Amino acid sequence: MKGIRFSVFHFFFFLLLTTIAFRLPLLGNTAMLLASYLGLLFSDYRTALDQFSLNMADYFCSLFLIIAIPVFLYFKRKKLPTLKTFSFLHYSVTVIFYIFLFAPVITNDNFDFQKDISVTRLLPPFSSIHALHLKSDTKKPGRLNDFLSLKRNVVKNSFDDKIVFYDSLRQNKSNVVCFQNGLLISLPLSSIDLLNGKPKISMRHFVLGSDEFGRDIFNRIIYGTRISLLIGFCAVILSLIIGVVLGFLAGFSGGVTDVLLSRLTDLFLSFPIIFFIILILAFFGNSFISVIVVLGFSGWMSLFRIVKGEILSLKTKDYFITAQQLGLSGTKLLLREALPVIAVPVIVNTVFQFGNVVLSESALSFLGLGIGNDFPSWGAMINSGQEYLAQAWWMIFFPGFAIVLTLITVNDLGRKLAHQFNPRMHA
Amino acid sequence: MKRSLSILPLAKRITTSAFVLFLTVSFLFVLVRIAPGDPSQKFISPKLSPKLVEKVKTSFQLDKQIHVQYLSFVKNAATGNLGVSYAFHRPVVEVIFDVLPFTILFAVSAFALQLIAGLLLAVFAFHHNQKIWDKLLSRGSMFLYAVPSFVSGLLFIYVFSVQLKIFPSSGIKTVGTLESSFFLLLVDYTKHLFLPVLVLSLTGLPVYFKYFRENFEENQKKLFTLYLRANGVSERKILLSHLIPNSLNSIIAYAGVDLGILFSGALITEVIFSLPGMGRLTINAILGHDYPLIVGCTLTAGILIIFTSLLADLIRLNIDKRLIKGLLN
Repeated sequence: MKGIRFSVFHFFFFLLLTTIAFRLPLLGNTAMLLASYLGLLFSDYRTALDQFSLNMADYFCSLFLIIAIPVFLYFKRKKLPTLKTFSFLHYSVTVIFYIFLFAPVITNDNFDFQKDISVTRLLPPFSSIHALHLKSDTKKPGRLNDFLSLKRNVVKNSFDDKIVFYDSLRQNKSNVVCFQNGLLISLPLSSIDLLNGKPKISMRHFVLGSDEFGRDIFNRIIYGTRISLLIGFCAVILSLIIGVVLGFLAGFSGGVTDVLLSRLTDLFLSFPIIFFIILILAFFGNSFISVIVVLGFSGWMSLFRIVKGEILSLKTKDYFITAQQLGLSGTKLLLREALPVIAVPVIVNTVFQFGNVVLSESALSFLGLGIGNDFPSWGAMINSGQEYLAQAWWMIFFPGFAIVLTLITVNDLGRKLAHQFNPRMHA
Repeated sequence: MKRSLSILPLAKRITTSAFVLFLTVSFLFVLVRIAPGDPSQKFISPKLSPKLVEKVKTSFQLDKQIHVQYLSFVKNAATGNLGVSYAFHRPVVEVIFDVLPFTILFAVSAFALQLIAGLLLAVFAFHHNQKIWDKLLSRGSMFLYAVPSFVSGLLFIYVFSVQLKIFPSSGIKTVGTLESSFFLLLVDYTKHLFLPVLVLSLTGLPVYFKYFRENFEENQKKLFTLYLRANGVSERKILLSHLIPNSLNSIIAYAGVDLGILFSGALITEVIFSLPGMGRLTINAILGHDYPLIVGCTLTAGILIIFTSLLADLIRLNIDKRLIKGLLN
């Protein structure tokens, strides 16, 4: 692994700097929000707790990491190995990990943000839409109101009634007329944010286009990365626990337990598991948790086999027999003696399993049995794009690209790890 | 002596299969019964009189005790009497037999395509050992392996059906094709099935390619290849009559399970191209809570998978007698 880290960290720095350059105002606002929140926390404890939200904590975390990671790396720079190799895998792992950590800072809006659908729906990639800004309410004095207006600037809602998107604009003496795809909206000049007597106009960029509800596909893909990886991590940990514990039990105790567990594994393996997953999700409802549990419970079989095989060969080793004779408990035998030895094949298998879970999750979302509509998911995005295939190829192309990139990266990582730990296997 | 040796593992293998099938049925029964929602509710509207409601419940056997239900369930499953589908109002067996021919045709063509293409590409890559083609192919197969069928399927539809308008995007035949002309019908079927078969085989192709390629590599290092080379046997002959047959063992084992899964329905491909196959039938039954049909479909899938992997094992045993020992232990 020597040499890899240095290049990866350089690339990481590059990504960080790009983000900071593009999102400097947001980061500044976040810092101000943090200061204001701390002030509020000391002056009015109860209100501060009421105002707390996970989204806000997310922004604070990103801000903290953006400052902390460079500082940490700076002090550890002597220990970072030098540059030797440089490959596609390192880039893609870094990008995916980076997106996972800094999703709120990379995106500029809520993933569900939609406004004026008639103008913003099904926009092709790299399109920009003009926006008018309505005058915001006059600021009320007070610490809480300061905090609230700051929070509105940082933590974006899925709806913003102070923005009007339009195709073209005509200005009269007293009011402004917006055209929205054949729709006319007349706004009094007094209600609009003005700049030198003219309406203040900004551009909203849809880098990867928008979907049928006028939502930004780029934002949804970025947040979809988070969801996919999160589901992958949780489900894989679940199958890891089940597979290792059952495999240890079967290999260690042998006899009836072994036969029963092996038959159970055969049962699970000899079946198109996707039908069972769908069956369970369709009957018991699909949600974030149920998808994780079902995918976790359906992926332990290969781990079970590997662990069982390894334990069986381990049982004949002298040091293991000694540990057993010393009277170590089953848990201690598993954690202290067995796990360090079987870690390599288990880790490699876990990485591949992670790829399987990401694939299954997107397939389930594609069939409409994923985590629901509260969170963006790549599979669900492709599913909704299916209907608009003839008009909007970008609705399926970019999420599909994200899935393929993630799967290639994960599979490649698994292969590289296997090779790294056991060079003779592929020699 | 020889005869008893070959029968014992066979019996053991078949018993295991039957046991797995039985477990599957029981598991299915439990799952269907503990699922929330009363299926008979869908057939009972408030307008019905209580007497009629009872009649409907009795006809679906939903009024009896759970163990009675289980016993009759297993008995019915064993005799092939799977009940009447709630949604189709026809016997489940009939509904399944309606879609089975198409499913088998679809599965076999995709299976054949991926197996043959995988073998040919592996031979090609092996011929260009460690050269640019070999590396390109192995990179390409890794890429292909990471493309899910719902991505490749939709992209193919976009390119070939929407933009180029060469192939139809869904269904199995064009409305209004002359039924009388066999040739036209065949062309129509081929046109409709081309994209689905391609998409379905693309997911399996990298696996076969990789298996063949790695097995060739492995066998090439063995001493018998060296011996053959030393005796001046041509490379072509070594490949065709020594490397390929020696590589088949693990591939047949994989292919058995793979073919079974294909028979039980290529779920996502069928959904994308709206094909009348087992996969779509199953998912529609599941989503519609059509319990008899769910049981029928899953049971059929289980039987097909268990049967094909049994078949694959028998073929392997026939090819390589050394495996019998492994089965006996």
